[in-house]
Amino acid sequence: MTLQQSIMAEDERFAAAIRESNERRGLLMVNMIGSPGCGKTTILERTAQSSGLSFGVIEGDLATNRDAERLDRLGVPVVQVNTHGGCHLEANVIEKAMESLPLDSLDVLFVENVGNLVCPAEFDLGEDFKAALLSTPEGADKPLKYPYLFSSSKVVLLTKVDLLPYLPFDMKMFSEDVKKLNPEAPVIPMNGMTGEGVEEWTKLLREKIREKKAHAR
Amino acid sequence: MHEVSLAESIASSLISLKKERGWERVVEVRLRIGALRQVFPEILCFAFETVTKGTELEGAELSIEDVPISFRCRDCGGCWGGDDPLCPECGSMHRETVAGNELEIESLEVEEQT
Repeated sequence: MTLQQSIMAEDERFAAAIRESNERRGLLMVNMIGSPGCGKTTILERTAQSSGLSFGVIEGDLATNRDAERLDRLGVPVVQVNTHGGCHLEANVIEKAMESLPLDSLDVLFVENVGNLVCPAEFDLGEDFKAALLSTPEGADKPLKYPYLFSSSKVVLLTKVDLLPYLPFDMKMFSEDVKKLNPEAPVIPMNGMTGEGVEEWTKLLREKIREKKAHAR
Repeated sequence: MHEVSLAESIASSLISLKKERGWERVVEVRLRIGALRQVFPEILCFAFETVTKGTELEGAELSIEDVPISFRCRDCGGCWGGDDPLCPECGSMHRETVAGNELEIESLEVEEQT
């Protein structure tokens, strides 16, 4: 007998419910995906310090509350989810975590996914878009090696650009590869130490927030 | 290793369907998986075998059809397959993916209750 049902049907139901509730609120949701240590939390810290946006964060990590504590110190509403070995977050977990955040007073909800370039890209959390993060020491060859993440993201944040003078990072190849996979995604060069790039990142977020609020039901 | 999550997801859908429709046994599960998805067929089969062991789905066979990538050009409408990011007709990079993202349970073979 034919069935033609998505393998992730149950997950997709949770993701759809999250999407609908965010649509009603006019709340933008961004899924931040990158390797461990690429600077996901640091970028969120800088965003908290200088964007003027009101946002909340769901932190996904295998263990510890360390990332949540860093954001909590800056006054960001944050929920830590520990996956205890799980390599990605799933929508049912996000739905639960959202209950402990003041969603009505937020412009953006960030999900900082478990550090990993593979599985997190596969699971729809109900987000408006994915942001792919790559730090320069990881190497310019990564987009083609992890094509699903880079082709399904709306924006690429290239972090630690202050290290470029010390690295054999082929910027031309990197930009061309991202363009091949995802012609419409902008690449934002960032430096979490100085805050470089946060302005451009904030501008992109503001644009998306405006669109989202305009469509709120 | 998200193959385990996928296997659990398939198993939980099948268990509810089996109960709902009163099947005796699920014999075969046919999947369609796009080449763009990061799924390793052998690992998925092994994961499915493992998560169904000792359950009412034990022994159900998983078969996987690979769906190749296919793009359509938004400028000239041409279609092409493979990894080439540019349209072979007009060189445009504005494309949409028409196949390769599949992650579906296509069909099942079941034994009805007698």
